[in-house]
Amino acid sequence: MPPETTKAAAGEQYWQSIDQWMDSTQFETLMKNEFPEDAGEWLDPVSRRQFLTVMGASVALAGGGIGCNPSLKPAPARKVVPYVKQPDQLLPGVPLFFATAYAQQSGVGLGLLVKQTEGRPIKIEGNPNHPGSLGSTDIFAQGSILSLYDPDRAKEAKLSGKSGGYDNFVTSIKNELEKQLGKQGDGVRFLTEPSTSPTFIALLDEFTKRFPKAKWIQYEPISRDNSRKAIQAAFGAPANVVYKFDKAKVALSLDADFMVSGPGAVRSARDFMKNRKVRTVKEAIANGEGIPVESMNRLYAVETMLTSTGAVADHRLTLKPSQIPDFTKALAAKLGVAGVTAPALTGLAAQWLEPLAADLLAAKGAAVVLVGDQQPAAVHFLALAINEKLGAFGTTVTFTEPIETRPTDLNDLKVLTDDMKAGKVDLLFILGGNPAYDAPVDFDFAGALKGMKGTKVRLGVYEDETSFDGQCQWFLNASHYLETWGDVRAFDGTVSVQQPLIAPLYNGKSPLELLATLLSYGINDPLELVQATWKKFHDATAKGTDFESWWQKCLRDGVVPGTAMPAKTVAAVKPAGEVLADKAFAVPAAKSGLEVQFRADPTIYDGRYANTGWLQETPKPITKLTWDNAAIVSPGTAEKLGVTNSFGWTGGENGRTIADLAKLTLDGRSIENIAVFILPGHADDAITLHLGYGRTHAGKVGTGAEKGAQGPGFNTYALRSSSAPWNATGADLVKKSETFFLACTQGQYLMESRKPARHATVAQFKADREFAQIPPASAAEYKELRELTPGTVEDFKRLGFKHPYEQHHGTEHAAHGPHDKRMVPLSLYPTNPSTVNGVEASKSYRRWGMAIDLGACIGCNVCVMACVSENNTPVVGKETVTKGRAMHWIRVDRYFSIPGDETQSDELGAANSSAEYRAGQVKRSDSIRTHFQPIVCQQCEKAPCEVVCPVAATVHSADGLNDMVYNRCVGTRYCSNNCPYKVRRFNFIQYSDYSTESLKLLNNPEVSVRSRGVMEKCTYCVQRIRNAEMETEREFDKRKVAGKTDKFGRPKIMDGEIVTACQAACPTSAIAFGDLNDDSSAVLRAKAEDHNYGLLAELNTMPRTSYLAAIRNPNPAMPKGA
Amino acid sequence: MAQIFPKSMNVLARVSILAVPFLAAGGGAAGTAFYRSDYTTGAREVTEQPIPFSHKHHVAQLGIDCKYCHTSVEVSASAGFPPTKTCMNCHQQMWQSADLLDPLRKSYATGTPIAWNKVHNVPHYTYFNHSIHVGKGIGCYSCHGNIDEMNLIYQSKTLLMEWCLACHRQPELHLRPKDEIYNIKWKAEDVTNPDTGKPYDQLTLGKLLKEAHQVREANVITNCSICHR
Repeated sequence: MPPETTKAAAGEQYWQSIDQWMDSTQFETLMKNEFPEDAGEWLDPVSRRQFLTVMGASVALAGGGIGCNPSLKPAPARKVVPYVKQPDQLLPGVPLFFATAYAQQSGVGLGLLVKQTEGRPIKIEGNPNHPGSLGSTDIFAQGSILSLYDPDRAKEAKLSGKSGGYDNFVTSIKNELEKQLGKQGDGVRFLTEPSTSPTFIALLDEFTKRFPKAKWIQYEPISRDNSRKAIQAAFGAPANVVYKFDKAKVALSLDADFMVSGPGAVRSARDFMKNRKVRTVKEAIANGEGIPVESMNRLYAVETMLTSTGAVADHRLTLKPSQIPDFTKALAAKLGVAGVTAPALTGLAAQWLEPLAADLLAAKGAAVVLVGDQQPAAVHFLALAINEKLGAFGTTVTFTEPIETRPTDLNDLKVLTDDMKAGKVDLLFILGGNPAYDAPVDFDFAGALKGMKGTKVRLGVYEDETSFDGQCQWFLNASHYLETWGDVRAFDGTVSVQQPLIAPLYNGKSPLELLATLLSYGINDPLELVQATWKKFHDATAKGTDFESWWQKCLRDGVVPGTAMPAKTVAAVKPAGEVLADKAFAVPAAKSGLEVQFRADPTIYDGRYANTGWLQETPKPITKLTWDNAAIVSPGTAEKLGVTNSFGWTGGENGRTIADLAKLTLDGRSIENIAVFILPGHADDAITLHLGYGRTHAGKVGTGAEKGAQGPGFNTYALRSSSAPWNATGADLVKKSETFFLACTQGQYLMESRKPARHATVAQFKADREFAQIPPASAAEYKELRELTPGTVEDFKRLGFKHPYEQHHGTEHAAHGPHDKRMVPLSLYPTNPSTVNGVEASKSYRRWGMAIDLGACIGCNVCVMACVSENNTPVVGKETVTKGRAMHWIRVDRYFSIPGDETQSDELGAANSSAEYRAGQVKRSDSIRTHFQPIVCQQCEKAPCEVVCPVAATVHSADGLNDMVYNRCVGTRYCSNNCPYKVRRFNFIQYSDYSTESLKLLNNPEVSVRSRGVMEKCTYCVQRIRNAEMETEREFDKRKVAGKTDKFGRPKIMDGEIVTACQAACPTSAIAFGDLNDDSSAVLRAKAEDHNYGLLAELNTMPRTSYLAAIRNPNPAMPKGA
Repeated sequence: MAQIFPKSMNVLARVSILAVPFLAAGGGAAGTAFYRSDYTTGAREVTEQPIPFSHKHHVAQLGIDCKYCHTSVEVSASAGFPPTKTCMNCHQQMWQSADLLDPLRKSYATGTPIAWNKVHNVPHYTYFNHSIHVGKGIGCYSCHGNIDEMNLIYQSKTLLMEWCLACHRQPELHLRPKDEIYNIKWKAEDVTNPDTGKPYDQLTLGKLLKEAHQVREANVITNCSICHR
C-alpha cells in the first residue's frame, strides 16, 4: 500500500528571497546556470597581467628558496623554549579552563569558562554554574576573544595625541584633583556605561565621599530607561525583573527580542525553548531533552521588525511602532485592567484581541507579557499591569532589588552636555562607551567635547570617535576584560569575579584601576581592589571560614555564593489611569509619513563591536546581511516608494544584492544616502534602522585603512534624537537613482525546492508524527528514507518504536529487502567501514552523529561564532562574501513560507504560480513564517565528495567522519561541486592571516590554519573527538574498573564527554552530538524521533547529521492566516 | 651523402634503447632512496645545543628516569621539556661552577628560558600525541632509539609518514608491557612465555599485548584524522 501523503508540511513552499518566491524566469535561469555570466571574470583589483608577473616572481623565489636552503626535511628546524620555573598545574599541551565573566550590554554579567593554552586564552565557553549562561554564550562573548588580540587596540597612554605614559598621568591628575578639593569636586564628572560591578561602585562611593559634588552619569545608546521608569511608577520603587520562562505556558512579546538581546537573554532562550522541543521518546523526556507535545508553550509576537523571537513565534502580528501602544492598551482593557480606555483597533490586530486575551487568561499564573526596550514607558507599565492581572507575579515574573546602582537616564547626559558647553566641567572622565559617536544627535556631544575647556580623560580600548587625535587630553588605553580583575552581576544579581587570563598585552588599565589611582594617586593592584570588596562580603556572610579557600572556590566556580538578589515583594501596581495621565507616560501622536524604529544591530550591537571582523561577517539572523546595515522596509512599502532590490551575480553565487539608495529625512535631519533593503514580514509603512554602522574611527575592520573615512554601513545615529530615541514618525524616504551593493548571503547555496526545512503544527504532528518523512521526489519512497538516516533496528526497538521497515511491511521485510530498488544503497564502494573481527563495523565502532532540533533554533548565530573561534576560520571581507566565499563551516539558513497558501504542493495539484498572485502574497507581512536551519557538513556515510576527489584528500574514517586532509588537497574543488549541501569552503586566496603578530596568539593550536588553495569544511570538531578518544583509550584499564565500557568491553567515551563547539555554545541546546553506537546517547534518542529526517536523504547520501522538524503550536481560535 | 654513424653504432643504439627503462627505474630507485636518506630526513644528524646535555650520562650512568624531566609524557601530547628549575634541582649541588653549565645558571638567575634546538621535528599539520602511545604500550625506544647511548641527541628514525604508518598498521611489532615503557634496553626475548617456558618473540607477545592494551584495529588508527586535523 502506498503510504498516504501527509499534507502537513508537504506542500508548503520554502523560499529564501523574494526573487526565489516570485520564481522569476531570470532567477530560474540564473540559478540553473552552471556558469553564470561573471563566474569566469576576473573581479579582483589585480589585473591578469599583474597576476602573471606576481606568479612568475613567486616561482622564481620558490626556486631560489630551494637553492639557498638545502634542507629537504619535511619539517623545518624549530626551537623548544621551556619555562624557567613551570607554573603549578600547567602541563604543556593540556589546556586549562578558567572561570571569568563578561560584562554584556547594560553591564550585566555572563559567566564564562575560558580555554587557555600555554598562557594564552583562545576560546570562550559558557560557565554551567552561572545562572545567566548555564554553559552557553552569546555571539558577543564569542567575539570578545578576537577583540583581545585585535591589532587595532590602543597600545599606550597618550597625552594630547602623543605618547604620555600612565605614570605621568598619575602625577598630573594629582594636581588637578587637589585643585578640586576646595570645590568639593564640583567640576568633576564621570561618564561611564551602566555598571553592576560592586567594586566599581564601592570605589566611586569612596571618591564621592572625598568629592561630594562630583557627578556620575551613565549612558548607553541601548538603554532600559523606559522599563525602569515604568517600574518606578508602578511600584513606587526601583526593581529588577527576573522572568521565569520555564514556567511560562503562554507568552506575548510586544516588540521584545527577549531570546537574543537584553539581560539574561541566553538564559531566557534556554528556559523558553526548552518547552518547545517536542519529544516522544520517554527517556528523552525523562532526561529533560524535551517535552511531550501536550506541554508545549505558545508564543505570540507583536513587532515591527522581523526578529528571532518573531521568527519562532506561533503567531506574529506586524504593527507599526506607533500602533503597538494602542494594541497594548486595547489588550489591557480587554483583560480588565482598570483605568485604561480601549482604542479602536483595525484589521488583523482587532481580530487578534479576543482569542489572545482568552488564551492569556486561560493560562493564568503561567502567562507572561514582555516588552522591548524600544517601547515607550506606557507600554512597559501596561505590561506590568497585565502581568499582575494574569497572576504572573511570583510565578513567571519575579522581582529583585535592582542590579545596577544609581542608574541615570538620558536627561542626565543632557545636563552633562549643557554643563560642558557652559564651562562648568573642569575634569571629565569618560570611562568606556563612545558618546561622541552614539549620543543623541541633538545633544551634539562631540561638539561639546571638542569645545570643552577643562581636562578630559578618556579610558578606552580603542582610540575611537570620542578620543581620536588627542580630542581628550589624556587617552588611557584600557585593559580587556580577559586581562584584568573585576566583578560583575548577572541578570539575577549573582556576582562573578572576573579573573585575568593573560597579563595586559599593552599595559592597559581597567576602570577599577583608574578609580583607585584617583583615590591613591598611585598605581594599584586590581586584584587587591576586588579582593577588598569580597573580603568584606566574606566576613559578613561566611564568618569563621578561611578567606583564601573561600576566594579560590569563588574563582573556580565562577560565581560568588549567596550573591543572587533575594526575591522582592512588590506593592500592587498603581492604578493605570493615574500613571498614564502623567505627562512622562504620554505616547506622542503619530505624524503622517513613514515611521522609523531604531534597533541595536544584531551582530555589532550599538557599534561597539564594529571592529570585530567575526561579528561583521556573521550574517544577521533575519536579513542575512553582512558588513552593512540598511533601511529595512516591507515589500509593500518598497513598492509604494518605488525602491527595488535585485541580485547581482559574482563568482557563481547570487550574493550581491543591488539595493537602491535613498535619502532619508526625519525631523529636518537627513541621511543623504542609505541603502534600502526589502524584507518580507516587516511592518508596512515603517523603516527599521539598525544602529552601530558608519563608524569613522573604529579600526581597520570597522572603518577601513583610512582613518576618519566612513566605515561599512550607514550611520543611523545621525537621525536619532533624544525626543525620539527609539520610534519616530514623520520620516520621508526618497529614492535616488544610484544603487549600492550589499553582501547578503540569503541567496547563496540554494537547495531549490527540495524542502530542506520542515515543520508542522501540533495538530498536524498529532495526526501524523512522521510528517517530516517527505521526499519531494516521490511519495512512495518516503518510509525507506528513514533507513537512510542512520540508526539501527535494535535502537528503534529499544526505544519503543517499530523500525520504519517493519511498520509498513511487517517483520519479514528484511528478508526480501526494500521495495524500491532505487533506495537500495547503490555504491561502487564497499560498505564503509567494513567488518572488523567478524563484527559488522557499523555496530562495533564509535559512530559519530548529530541531530539538530529545528524547533529549538532561534537563528542567533552563536554556533557560527563558536565554530569560527574553535576552527581558526578566517574573515574574508564584504566583496568576497558576495562571491559566496565566506568561510563559515556552519551556516544558519533562513527560509520563509506562507502557510495555507494556494501555491502549495508541486505534485498534488496545480499551484497558483501567477506572478500577480505571488506578488500579492509576499506583501502580506503577517502571514510570513520564518524558519531557521543550521547547516553543517552532513558527514554522509556515502559522501558524494569523496568519490570525486582525484587525490584522496577527502576520505572516510572508520567512525564515520568525512576527513579532510588539507595537505593532500590540490584545489580541484570537485568535492564542492559534488556536495549537495554546499558545505565545503575553498581558500581561493590566502584568507588566513599569517603575518599579524597578535592574531597568531588567537589560533587554536589543535586545528591547522589553512592556507591558500585548500578546501575545508566542518569536521564535527574532530580535534575534540580525538582528544577525548585519546584520553579514554589511554586510561582503558581505569575505565574498565569504573564500568565505562561498551558491550564489547572496550573503553567507552561517555555521552556528553565530547561536545562540539556549536553544540556547547547553543543557548537552546538544539544540537545533540554523540555516538550512535552508544545505546544511551542523546543523539540516538533524538534520531529515533518520528519527526527526525535526513536532509536530501533521497539522494542516498546517508547523512550522519539529521534534523528534527520544527513543531509549532498555533492557537486554533486565532483568525485564519494569523 | 655519407653516413654519419658507422654501422657498429647500431649495437650501441639498441643497447641504449634497452637501457632506457633501466635508467628510469634506477633513477626512480635513487630518488626514493635519496628521499628516505639520512641527508633528507635528518636522521642521525647530531644537533648542536646551547648546553651539550648528555642523555647517555644522565640516563645510562646516573639512572635518572625519563619522567623526571619529561613529566607530562603520560598525560599530554607533549612529553614536556624540563624547565631550568628541574636542572637546577641537582646542579645547585653539583657542578655548580662548571663552564658548560653557564647558560643554565644564567637562565636561572635572569629568568630567561634556554632555547633548545628541537631534534624530533614533526610537521605542524601532524598532531602527534605522546600520552596515547605511552598509554598503549609503545616504549620510548620505538621512536627515539637508543637514547641511553647518545651523548648529544639525534633523531634515530626517519620520521617519514611511511614510518609512522608501518607501526600504525602493525603495532604488535612494537608493543611492550606498560611497566617497561621507559626501559630502553627491554626486549621481548627477555620475557619468558609461561606456556612454553621459552622466551617470547616480539610478534607473539605483541599480539597478546595488543589485546590486553585494547589497541584499536589498524583500519581505525590509520585514518587520516587520527593525526591530521
